[in-house]
Amino acid sequence: MKKTIAVVFGGRSAEHDVSIITAHTPIIQSLLALGQFDVWPIYIAKDGSWYSDQAMNDLAYFKQDNFLEHLARQKKVRILFDKGLKIIWPGIRQKTVQIDIVFPAMHGTLGEDGSLMGLLRMADVPFVGCDLFASAVSMDKVLTKQILAVENISVVPYTWFTRNDWGTDRSACIEKIAGLGWPVFVKPVHLGSSIGITKAKQSSELENAIEVAFHYDDKVLVEKSVENLIEVTLPIMGNEELRLAAIERPLNKTEFFDFSDKYLSGNKNGGGVNSRYSEIPANIDKELAGRVEDLGKRTYRTLGCSGIARVDFLVDETSRQIYVNEVNTLPGSLYYHNWKKAGISAVELVAKLVFLAEERFASQQKTTYTFHSDILKKAGGQKRMAG
Amino acid sequence: MVRNWLSRYNLRYPRSLVYMLQASEYNIFDYLTWYRKTRNFNLVEKRKGLVRTTKSLLLLVISWSMVLFLSGIGIFLLLIYTGQFKYVFFFLVVIFSPHLLAYGIIIPLLTTRVMVQWPAELLIVNAAKRKLKIHTAIKIGVAGSFGKTTMREILKTVLSEGKKVAAPPHSHNTPLGISRFAKTLKGDEEVLIFELGEYCPGDVRRLCNLVQPSMGVITGVNEAHLQRFKSLERTVGTIYELSDYLGKKPVYVNGESELGQKNARPNHFVYSRKGVRGWKIENQKTDLTGTSFIMTKNDMGLEMKSALLGLHQVGPLAAAADIALILGLSPEQVKSGVNKTTPFSHRLELKTDDAGVVTLDDSYNGNPDGFNAAIDFLASLEGCRRFYVTPGLVEMGSQTEEVHRQIGRRLARTSIEKVVLVKNSVTPYIEQGLKEEEYHGEIIWFNDALAAFVALPLLTVKGDVVLLQNDWPDQYQ
Repeated sequence: MKKTIAVVFGGRSAEHDVSIITAHTPIIQSLLALGQFDVWPIYIAKDGSWYSDQAMNDLAYFKQDNFLEHLARQKKVRILFDKGLKIIWPGIRQKTVQIDIVFPAMHGTLGEDGSLMGLLRMADVPFVGCDLFASAVSMDKVLTKQILAVENISVVPYTWFTRNDWGTDRSACIEKIAGLGWPVFVKPVHLGSSIGITKAKQSSELENAIEVAFHYDDKVLVEKSVENLIEVTLPIMGNEELRLAAIERPLNKTEFFDFSDKYLSGNKNGGGVNSRYSEIPANIDKELAGRVEDLGKRTYRTLGCSGIARVDFLVDETSRQIYVNEVNTLPGSLYYHNWKKAGISAVELVAKLVFLAEERFASQQKTTYTFHSDILKKAGGQKRMAG
Repeated sequence: MVRNWLSRYNLRYPRSLVYMLQASEYNIFDYLTWYRKTRNFNLVEKRKGLVRTTKSLLLLVISWSMVLFLSGIGIFLLLIYTGQFKYVFFFLVVIFSPHLLAYGIIIPLLTTRVMVQWPAELLIVNAAKRKLKIHTAIKIGVAGSFGKTTMREILKTVLSEGKKVAAPPHSHNTPLGISRFAKTLKGDEEVLIFELGEYCPGDVRRLCNLVQPSMGVITGVNEAHLQRFKSLERTVGTIYELSDYLGKKPVYVNGESELGQKNARPNHFVYSRKGVRGWKIENQKTDLTGTSFIMTKNDMGLEMKSALLGLHQVGPLAAAADIALILGLSPEQVKSGVNKTTPFSHRLELKTDDAGVVTLDDSYNGNPDGFNAAIDFLASLEGCRRFYVTPGLVEMGSQTEEVHRQIGRRLARTSIEKVVLVKNSVTPYIEQGLKEEEYHGEIIWFNDALAAFVALPLLTVKGDVVLLQNDWPDQYQ
């Protein structure tokens, strides 16, 4: 009997639509091509409703003109997290499907940020990709920099503040930013796919950039812009033993590799990053490439990543200084275009990630989370006084 | 089963019938073969859809008129007719209506064909025959179960280096197609090349009477269209009608086709990768960049290089070179012409995608010899992972099982890493052949060709070579 695998996607996130693409290309399509799994899509709508219907295994379902009407006719599902994960279609003829493995395909908030991983840990079900802690830390660009800095991994000079800080003491925030020097990048702390990021070349452009970032987040990161910049990214896969894809260099025509470059400019078959906008492998010298790979592995391990992640770097071409920019625990479309050029097909990639999920789960099962205690029997009695 | 039966009462049913007539190019035999084997009529328009033409729209109107007429009879029997067997008649009408519609739609088609189309075509064909008779060009007829289009294109490319050459485009190889082409001729052409299509005995003779060739090429004989010809002897007889017509005039025969070689006559020029008409061929090489070889005769040596893929192309290229020399082209012109030959659309056509995956599109190759040649070429490639993708062959008649088991055995004897099969009535025989020879690679199954095409980019990596062998249109699904 085939194992059941649930691919969870959509969600209340600015990257909801990107998540639908990642879920289908390559995850669901590869799982179906593998033929070893009974694939159940779990779609979380923008309003937070959960749906599951195998018709959703086809990306065309989400491209229908009357998609929302179709969705309105769908029965919402209930998810049971009791000793494994179950999808339940309530009703007179209630149907239940026990899920053996979960493949999270959610980008951004309330999914990639560890929220979903927390639920799946509670359910005690194996799931693909980074665990709760790595996901939560990597989603917070500031927290990521703080942890990496402790491990002596170079990060670009930065500052950060919350919406409340900005509202109550704007001048203090601006003063901190001025200390970085111009130009700077203003970023929402928790968003991926380059959404809400603005480059401010002078103070007059700053307020607008910050307002844009606060539109998406309540915490903003401002970091010094690296001039003479080479931007590269490195997808990494593995739990203990790591496998690296090719170092990729976005060939951005705009000033930085934004959402449109990443997802909207691709060809009709791509679904992911357009190869015309990236160079694989990046045309950088061997010594620099070696340092990028070494830093990538250190970053992956420092943050406790497992399964898959992508580490982004900023390289100052003149000084040859390499900075870790951010870590993405669910690269868009798993960056399968890059793995493909590195010799791993999408089907092999997805199969390997499922294997890694099961491997990590088996390892976690060896950990004892409970122990026998008679503390309850003693609770409620007269408190013993110390000494 | 009930769902299949009910699919005949779906509102799309009349449209599906008209679509299949159109997809079969209004060939009644193909249409009826499809109709008899089809169980579910809901999923007929898979690969393509009905193209709105005057003919198809007219047939759609006729089919709906028939539906209304049959419904009227049903209503009459149920509500007005008072005879003893009213319910029996009613149920008979309900049960047989879909069949009456499927067969009834042929009647106006046949009537129009006999009353209008054939007389009109006869006028067009006769006019073409008169025009071709007085045309002074050397006319070359190309017949065979396979490889006709490739031979035509090779000849056209090579001869064009020194002559003004014309040939019907695409696969226009019927009397009407050739006649329409003849209308476009200006009269100053020096060589005309005609592909002679064969659908039933007598076809090649009829086409010879039309084009009046002075030279011929028989590209080979095999099981292609065996379902129509019933026996290989009939196929051989039909194709060799070209030889019968030409008598002592030059005929080139592909010696790499077993049946072609066997039936070659003493005055025929047999060509193969070993040579043709005294030319010896040496140093044959082929890879993804093309095919090269050296032709030598007496003191003359011609180094040839073509972008066509596979050693099976050496024979046709050599034959074309020899014909060109006979027609007066210089050795340099011949070399230049061979150098300009490139893969033709969907016939071992090489495409490389952004990810560096090489696809060999051989989707128009639907015959056993072509399959063997393509498998051999794929097997000859080194340093890459190779995928062989196929839904198998159609119209193999009584040879279906053996032909496909042979394909499986041939694949197993190579070291091709992955065989991707599309589920249908013939691919299990390929699997059997693979197992008989203890194939060590991976067999990957897909429910239909579209699913395979969607999955292939997900299965491949940079440097992989994927051979897409044959494609089944909807009438064979």
